[in-house]
Amino acid sequence: MTAATAPARPAPPRARRVTPAAGPVRLLRIELRRSPMLWLLPLLAVLFYVSTYRPAMGNPPFWNIRSAMVQSHTMLVFAPLLAGAGAWTGSRDGRRGMGDLVGVTAVPRWAGQFATWAAATIWAELLYLGGVGVLYGVTAQQGAWGGPPWWPVAVGVAVVAASCALGFAAGVRLPGRFTAGLAALVVFLALAGGAFAIQDNQVYGQIWPLNVQGPFPPDSYGIFYPYLPDLAIAQLMFLAGLAAAALGALGLPAAAGGRWLRGAAAAVTVAGLAAAGTATGLAGTARVEAHGMVIPALHDAASDRPARYTPVCRPGTVPVCLQPAYRSFMPEVNAALGPLLGQLAGLPVAPVRVTQVAVTTVQSTPGNGINFGGPVIRGRPAVLYLPLAGVSLPGEGHTSAAQFAWFLRDQYAQEIVNELVGLPAGAVAIGLNQVGNPGHAAQFAVARALDQVLNLTGPPPPNDSSAPGPAGGDNAGSAPTGRSGRAGPGGTASDASSSPGQMQDAVDRFAAMSVAARHAWLGTHLAALRAGRIALSEIP
Amino acid sequence: MTTAGVGRPAAAPTRERGRRSPGAARAGLRLVRLYLASRRVLTCLLVLAACGVALGTALHWLPRTGAYSRQIPLIIEAGAAAAIGVTARSPFGEPERVTGARLPLLRLGAGLALGGAAFGALAAGSASGHLAGGTLGLLRDLGGLAGIALLAAAVAGGGLSWIGPIGYLGVTLPALTGHWNTPWAWPARPPHDRGAAICAALVFAVSLAAVTLRGARDAAARE
Repeated sequence: MTAATAPARPAPPRARRVTPAAGPVRLLRIELRRSPMLWLLPLLAVLFYVSTYRPAMGNPPFWNIRSAMVQSHTMLVFAPLLAGAGAWTGSRDGRRGMGDLVGVTAVPRWAGQFATWAAATIWAELLYLGGVGVLYGVTAQQGAWGGPPWWPVAVGVAVVAASCALGFAAGVRLPGRFTAGLAALVVFLALAGGAFAIQDNQVYGQIWPLNVQGPFPPDSYGIFYPYLPDLAIAQLMFLAGLAAAALGALGLPAAAGGRWLRGAAAAVTVAGLAAAGTATGLAGTARVEAHGMVIPALHDAASDRPARYTPVCRPGTVPVCLQPAYRSFMPEVNAALGPLLGQLAGLPVAPVRVTQVAVTTVQSTPGNGINFGGPVIRGRPAVLYLPLAGVSLPGEGHTSAAQFAWFLRDQYAQEIVNELVGLPAGAVAIGLNQVGNPGHAAQFAVARALDQVLNLTGPPPPNDSSAPGPAGGDNAGSAPTGRSGRAGPGGTASDASSSPGQMQDAVDRFAAMSVAARHAWLGTHLAALRAGRIALSEIP
Repeated sequence: MTTAGVGRPAAAPTRERGRRSPGAARAGLRLVRLYLASRRVLTCLLVLAACGVALGTALHWLPRTGAYSRQIPLIIEAGAAAAIGVTARSPFGEPERVTGARLPLLRLGAGLALGGAAFGALAAGSASGHLAGGTLGLLRDLGGLAGIALLAAAVAGGGLSWIGPIGYLGVTLPALTGHWNTPWAWPARPPHDRGAAICAALVFAVSLAAVTLRGARDAAARE
């Protein structure tokens, strides 16, 4: 046997080339299969239904109302649970006493921990986005006007990631049976404390992740003007910074990896802390503007351009035009304001058209409150600008259509009458002594008479407790509120110069006139009445 | 030694029946001590004390009325309840279950004692401030939340029992401003609501019975 005939040495098996990324990716695949978050998904799905989907379906199909819920309602429930689950996941190796064992694997420890966190976060994000998808899909099917705002969803995604990261870091650092519960408790307390800080007028509290648009009620933004993303951008910065700092801190110990890796971890930690601090500082500069919260450094002027739409109008003596999103409320608006507008039609300064606007005036108040102005009559020919921002809409909470119409009649119609006869807004409610000018007596008497004739100050309709809607709601069990601090009816009429008897006589006389005679008198004397040149005794 | 004595009954013990020796008492105490140590009861007591301090601190800042006056105390109560649930976890699992009949008594005693300690800590913490709902409301809410934590321990394991009270609170916090009528959302009901008190007591009793008889779910293998 020669070397030529010697059997050839079998070729060594070809080594499979392993790309550097294959290890962490494979680890992520394994972690996705064994993540404890999987066991929590059914509970999270139930909680999403109870806390978000059910209340959302109890509200009218407005994108702004429902998108606010996927940030505030969902995250109040999800964030503590996700922090707890993250802590449980992160403390796994420590609870099992496997720290040394996994510390000598080929993949750096930091990368392994990152894969574990990523797996838990991916499952939570998938569930959250799935829930949002269902909610948005149903809302679109219900014919909501416009498009869905995605900024609240983006903040929700960031809250999920940050909650998991903070909990995970706590679990890695303090492995123990109490860690998960305590992490959930701390996140819960932080969320509740943030709400309290905002109400306590802490300017930096605006960064609170459940804060959608500061004091603005959900139905008051994002329809007439684009959704202002300033606050959401700051919140995203803050949450991403927190998550980066928490995860970066895990790479600082010597066991986490090599020098370069630890250097990168330190850079990530510092960058995260800087981002969170900057975002908090920016949130401190947020201010209330007409269409949402504005942070000057983040504001895009393009957001101030009004959204285009073709108003929905009801033809008539005084046409009423609403934004298409409010199309379904046209019957209630007509029922509430139609009789008054018909009575005033043709008068010199009476509105010839009603146009819905986003707001007339906006003013922030202490305690994270906000005041919206009522309807105003402006221009020649006069146009009544009607805001519905901040008014509880039919289906919102337990508000019925009858209660919505009652509110418009009781608050807005009175303000329209006041404005028409030249009285300050709320004069009927607060009484003549507060008007300041005794010359307003005749104006007051005419306004009272019109209120009486048109039944503008009737009692609120009973609350329809059987109305479909969420079990929760700020206005359940009561008449709808304007959330705007406007004075309600019920003031006592008194006159600095006339006796209450004289006043009542004038009211009764004017109310007893026929519709045509009253209209004719107003047509002749309205300018003088508005100027305060009519005495109480001159009222027929 | 022969086999002559085999089969005869053993000589009667010299001491009287029913009277326990000091050694047996010491063994009983040692059993209790080991049981409490295995459940990390000392850590739990520290957590409960911290909850009491946190409640007392929070009540200094919170308004006396409104939703915020209820939310933060409820969250702290849920934290205390979660700590009680976590102590139900056994580190031994199956071997412990076959060691004797005293285990259910130890579980029952520990559950009741920790419930009482939690109530005492939170009541002491709230003594210097105004707790919306009062002591009666605290007793009802804490009892119900502890019951949910123990129930979660029986179903999912002691280590995951915190999911119960935290998840329940997430659902019922909106109820504080929503005028819910169901007594099962007891934190949202007035403190003197009989139905809510019955529901909370029922949850606590059933959960305590479940944990007493069966213990927390053995999750040692999964952990």
